This record gives sequence, C-alpha cells and structure tokens, in this order.
Amino acid sequence: MRGVDRLCLAHLWLAFAAFVGAAVLGVWQMWVRSPLGAHTGTPGDYYMSVTAHGVAMAYVLSTFFIMGFGYFVAVTALQRPLPGQGWAWAAFVAGVIGVVMALVSIALGKASVLFTFYPPLTATPWFYIGLILVVAASWVWCVLMFVSMAAWKRKNPGRPVPLAMFGTVANALMWLWTTAGVAAELLYQVVPAAMGFVQTVDVGLSRTLFSWTLHAIVYFWLIPAYIAFYTMLPRAAGGRLYSDTMGRLTFIFFLIYSLPVGLHHLLMDPEHGNGTKFIQVLLTAFVAAPTVLTIFTIPASLEIAGRLRGGRGVFGWIAALPWDRPMVLASGLSFVMLGFGGLGGLINMAYGMNAMVHNTSWVTAHFHLIYGGTVVIMYFAIAYEIWPRLTGRQHESFSPLRWQLWLWFVGMMVMTLPWHWLGLQGQWRRVANFNYDNPIIASWGPLVIVSLAGGVLLLASALLFVRNLVVLHRSVQPAPTSPLYALAVVPPRHVPAALNGFGLWNVLVLASMLMAYGYPIAQFVIAPSPSAIVHRTE
Amino acid sequence: MTDLPEPHVPDRPWRIWASVAVVAIVLSGALLGVVIIPVVQGRGAGIDAFTAICRALGILPGSPAIPQIVSRNPPTPVSQVVWTPAVLQVLADARVDRGRAKVLEVCSACHGEQGVSISPDYPNLAGQSGTAIYKQLNDYHTGSRTNQFMTNVAQALDEAAIADVAAYYAGQPMRNPNPATLGAPDAIVQLVELGDPNRNIPPCAACHRHGAGGPIDAPVLSEQRQEYLTAQLKLFASGQRRNDVYGRMRTIAAKLTDSEIDGLAAYYRAGLR
Repeated sequence: MRGVDRLCLAHLWLAFAAFVGAAVLGVWQMWVRSPLGAHTGTPGDYYMSVTAHGVAMAYVLSTFFIMGFGYFVAVTALQRPLPGQGWAWAAFVAGVIGVVMALVSIALGKASVLFTFYPPLTATPWFYIGLILVVAASWVWCVLMFVSMAAWKRKNPGRPVPLAMFGTVANALMWLWTTAGVAAELLYQVVPAAMGFVQTVDVGLSRTLFSWTLHAIVYFWLIPAYIAFYTMLPRAAGGRLYSDTMGRLTFIFFLIYSLPVGLHHLLMDPEHGNGTKFIQVLLTAFVAAPTVLTIFTIPASLEIAGRLRGGRGVFGWIAALPWDRPMVLASGLSFVMLGFGGLGGLINMAYGMNAMVHNTSWVTAHFHLIYGGTVVIMYFAIAYEIWPRLTGRQHESFSPLRWQLWLWFVGMMVMTLPWHWLGLQGQWRRVANFNYDNPIIASWGPLVIVSLAGGVLLLASALLFVRNLVVLHRSVQPAPTSPLYALAVVPPRHVPAALNGFGLWNVLVLASMLMAYGYPIAQFVIAPSPSAIVHRTE
Repeated sequence: MTDLPEPHVPDRPWRIWASVAVVAIVLSGALLGVVIIPVVQGRGAGIDAFTAICRALGILPGSPAIPQIVSRNPPTPVSQVVWTPAVLQVLADARVDRGRAKVLEVCSACHGEQGVSISPDYPNLAGQSGTAIYKQLNDYHTGSRTNQFMTNVAQALDEAAIADVAAYYAGQPMRNPNPATLGAPDAIVQLVELGDPNRNIPPCAACHRHGAGGPIDAPVLSEQRQEYLTAQLKLFASGQRRNDVYGRMRTIAAKLTDSEIDGLAAYYRAGLR
C-alpha cells in the first residue's frame, strides 16, 4: 500500500467511524421524539445527542470524506504524486485532535449548542477550538489541492485539467470562501463570548455570518457526488460522458451561485430588509442551474451507455443499464432522492412558502433527504469504487453492497417523507419531546413511528456498510486494473482558460458577494442593534 | 494560410460575457427587490417611494408592504434591572475580596459567611448565580421586591457593592449541584425535567440550574431551603411577590398544587446537610 493510500484510508475511516456513531444517536433521537420513547431521558440528553449527531455528520463525516477523496483524486486523476504529504498528515492529526476536543466537550455536557452554534448560547471554548482545528486542517487540504493542480498545469501547459480534479479544486476554492463566514463568526464573536471577554453578542450579525457559510457548505458536501456523477458513473455504466464542458460549467456554477444566497436561510429574520432578501432569493434560483445541466448531461451519458449495451426505444436504454453495479445503482437512487429533495428546496427558498414550513420538521426532513440521501449514498458508492484501488483488494460479491444501498434508499424515503408531512402539519423542529396527550400531537404519532422505522433501516444500512468495507479488507481477490474515470464523447484537447482555472470566477465571486452581502453585513457596523446577553451553557 | 488564434483569444468572450451575466443578474435582482417591488407594494399600503426603498434595504425598520405598527402603551416594568452590556460589565468587573468584606459586615449574620443561611426561612446563597443575586438585591433596592429586613439592607448598598456581594456568594461552592441523583417521587422529577405540558407548565430545570436556558437572572435552586422555596412559590401564586418579568413565576406557581409546591421544595432541598 502506498503512503498516499494510507492517508486516504485514514481520512475515510475517521469519516465513517463518526458516521456510524452519529447514526446510532440519530435513531435514539427519533425514538425519544416518538410516542414509543416519549419521556426517555431529559431534554439535556436530547440536545447533547443532537449536537453530537450534527457535529459528527455535518463536520466530521463530510470534511474528512471530502479530504480523503480529494487526495485520492489528486493522485489518480492527475497521475502525479501528492505534494506535501507531510503537511497532509499533520493536518490530519490536527483534525483528529480537533474532533476529539469537540466530541469530549459535547460528551461532558459542556457544548449542547447544536452544530449550528446558535449564539448567544455559548459552549466551552474547547468545543469551538476543536472545530476550528478541523477547519484549519481542511484549509491545508485546500492548499494542497491548489498546489497539485498548479504543478500539473505547469507540466502540461495548454492541456485541460482532468474534470475530476477541476471539480475538486472548485470545491476547495468554494470551501475557502464558505468558511470565511463561520470563521469570522467564531473568532470575532463566539469565542470571545465563550472565553468571557465580552458579555453580549450581536445575534443578527452572527446569524448573517453563519448564513454566509450555511448554504455553500451543503454544496461542499454535494460536489463529491457530482464529481462521481460526471467522472465515475459514465465509466461504471459502460459509456462515456456526454459533455466535458457541461461538467466544468456545473462546477463553476456551484462556485458562483452557492455563495451569495445564504440570506434565504434568514427569510423570517428581522435584521435584514425585504429587498436584500429578495436579491439572494433570486440568486438562489440560479443554484438550480448546475443541477439542471446535470439532469441533462448525466442521463444523456447513461443513454449512451444503455444504447451501447443494446437498449432500444425511448426508455429501453434505461433497462439495459448495469443496475447491478453499485455506482450505477447508487446514482439512480441518488437522483430519485435529489428529485424529491430538490422540489422541497424550491419551497424553502420561496419567501411565502418558507413562511409556512419555517422552523418545522419539514426543514429537518429536507436536509436529511438531500445530505443524508442524495449525497451520502454517493459517498457509499465512491467508497465502494475507490476502496479496491486503495487496498488492492476486490469486493467478493456486489450483493451485500446492493442490499446496503437499497436499505439506505428505502430507509431514507420512509424516514423523510412522513417527516416532511409532519412539518406541514406544524410539527416543530429542535424540540426535545412531544406531549402525546395533546390530541393534535397524538395524531402525529403514527407517522413519527413510521419515520422512526425508516431511521432503524438507515442504522442497519450504516452497519452493513461498515461490514462491507471490513470484509473487503480481508478479501483475497485482487483489485481490478480498469480505468476509473470516464472519457468524454469528445475528449477536450483545448479549453478556454476560463474553463481550466478559477481566476475569473474568483473575481466574480468576490463581486457578487460584495453586492449581496456588502450592506447586510455593513449595517451592523453603521447602525449597531441591541446585542443579546451571552448565555453560557457549560 | 491562416494563422491559428492565440490561446488567450477564445478566452476573452468568456471573461466579458460571464462578468456581464453575473453582474446583470445581481443588479436585476437589486432593481426588482429594492426598487420596483417595494415601490409598488408601498403604494398599496400608503407608503411613499423613498420610505419603501429604505425599508426594502433595511435602512428604515418595517416592511415596505405594510404600515409599521407603533405601540403607544406606556411600559410598566415589574423590575428596574436591565441587562445592558454596561450592567453585565459591572458584574464581570466585580471584586470578590470587597464582596467578602461586605458580606462579613452586612449579610453573613443571616445568610452565613459561606452562603449557608442560619434559618430555614432565609435562602442559601452559596453557589447561587451572580446575576440572580444582583437582580434580587437590585429589586429590593428599588422596591420592586419588598421584605421587612432586606429592603433596608439593599437600600444601603450601591450598585458596585451589590455586584461584589453577588460575585462573592456565586464563588462559594455548592455541595451537590445535581439533586436528581438523591431520589424523589417520579411525578416531581418529571415536573422538574419535563414540566406538565397539559397544564402549560414548563420544566423547572429549563431555567433553574447552571447553564440552563431561560432568563440569565433565574436562580439556581438546588440545595435551597425548603421552607424558603415553599414560601416564595406561595407568594408568587398569590401575586404578593411580583418582581418576575412577564409574570412567569406568578403564572407557573398559580398552577401548582400545594403538594407539588411541597414536593418541589423538598426536591430542591435535597443534598442540604
């Protein structure tokens, strides 16, 4: 095993270890919210669990998976050794220390502030310092991704950067832009409050800074799934990518339009004018653009594969696709969940409809369906695809892999569809327990139990996933040597500099962020509002 | 023979058109969201165009679509304590040594040097939240809360002395900050941890322990004197004590039965030697 393989595996195993622990907590939370487990534990236990679940899923699973996958792409797509492996390992160790600090703080009951922090609540400073270490580790990863691409471009002047690496660097760049918001919130507001240096926090400002991060972070999680759609899925299906240019445009659109849109998370907040909210809602509509491009390009690529495999007629190519292969199956299931989740997202971004679902379970169900469903099922597929190349061993059978993916899909649908419905009925989110003696709340009970059943299926799938990887580590079959990344129908030989780098797009992100966030942030300096009293929870 | 274009040439239209597209999208959003929609909405609500635009930007408060409601009812606060940054800073700057001297001079005769009171009718102050002590002393000082002994004592203290005393007692150690471990009837534990949603009674623990949510001046109740707690809950229930902001405790206490008041007071006494 090469050193870089160990580096990737270390990141990926840490990500999935956090994932399994968080999945157990998730089921427990569903249980205590249901009529079956009502009055189990205290609200304090519940919020502690929700914080651990959120931190593990949203920060540890995502960040370490993306870092590990990024290192893998840098080496395999560019066919070059990874520069700065010492830095990568140092960042990993710092990240592990950060994760331990954050999780120990939570376990001691000193950080029950949820993963979105919610100032003026403050936790022990160790919690924030731990998470800052994780983010700092990811910044090292970003730099290594830039250095890798720059070195490749120097060696290959004029040639287009492989699409998988182009997408990875787009993601790294977006992550640097994204984390600026939360880093400012933590360093300027929350940590000084947690340390006791200040007694009040301007909550409007902290919510605005977090909104800067809050939407784009979801695209940071999502882009690996899109990288797999564009570069791995067409090959796994036995075809070619319909258009390399569409892939590049998709990643660029994500970079531009995922950032100046965060105020749509604050539609019910009083600190911003309707007009500034409108601008960002309009920009949010453009986030659909990369998904629309993908909905066109990826089925077109799959159609090529299906017809090459003998599919005929308008829909015959769909049946001809190799659905027994995990990457193809997971992508199909992911698209179905993206369909439901995307439609739900359109409702969240619309001012009037958001007013109906704001702070209800609808929102929780939505982000579980998009992140837990669409994105994480692709993390599984990517893991199944790259693990053999990291370990040199092949899966002995695809059957348990398919079981695991189907279980995840069915579990996610069974959990989130009733959850959405409960949100429409008015079920609140961020609530530790429900009084099922109340007739209205009692009428929700059956659907909450169905949702819990979905959660149990998800936990079974999570355990089966880890089992599948452990079995692979012991497999005696040698790994395949076939190529991983798909060729385009017309492989690009020369692309405009705008589609081969990010200089132009960086300037445009800066311009749009200034226009979208300039006044909404400056107003807190121009006319400060009354601050909230710091509430220390430790 | 035609020359091939230089590599930078095909990139120029990208730069221009991408920039034009992104800026045009944002500016059209601004034109619609900050000018056209608010002006049209404002016209329907009788708001002039300038005000509507300022409201859409967030420079003026309120929505461009509806007139801003202004309350004309004069406030009638039940307490004069306002948690401004300045007041919080006074508490943060309080000095324990001065507080100890003042305690020995004024408070210790009843509340004890370590904050363990000499009589079951007086509250223990050891480990009490500093903000809670500050609020109650201030309320005695201003007359928002009255007591035959405390009113005179508090009126003799200035704000800095109140903060010092609060800081001193807040620093005295409690012996058992988690009375639930000492055992109590299930119904009482449930009232403390979960409240009674059927009667709209929130859980006591939501406000009354270290690090809980709720107002910062809510006192920590563990290791409190049973007789004192019973008396205070009854004073709240009858409305004789009324320095609780928004009438929170008057509302809650009025819903508690006598046996619940006794049970809760016993629960919070637990651990007291």
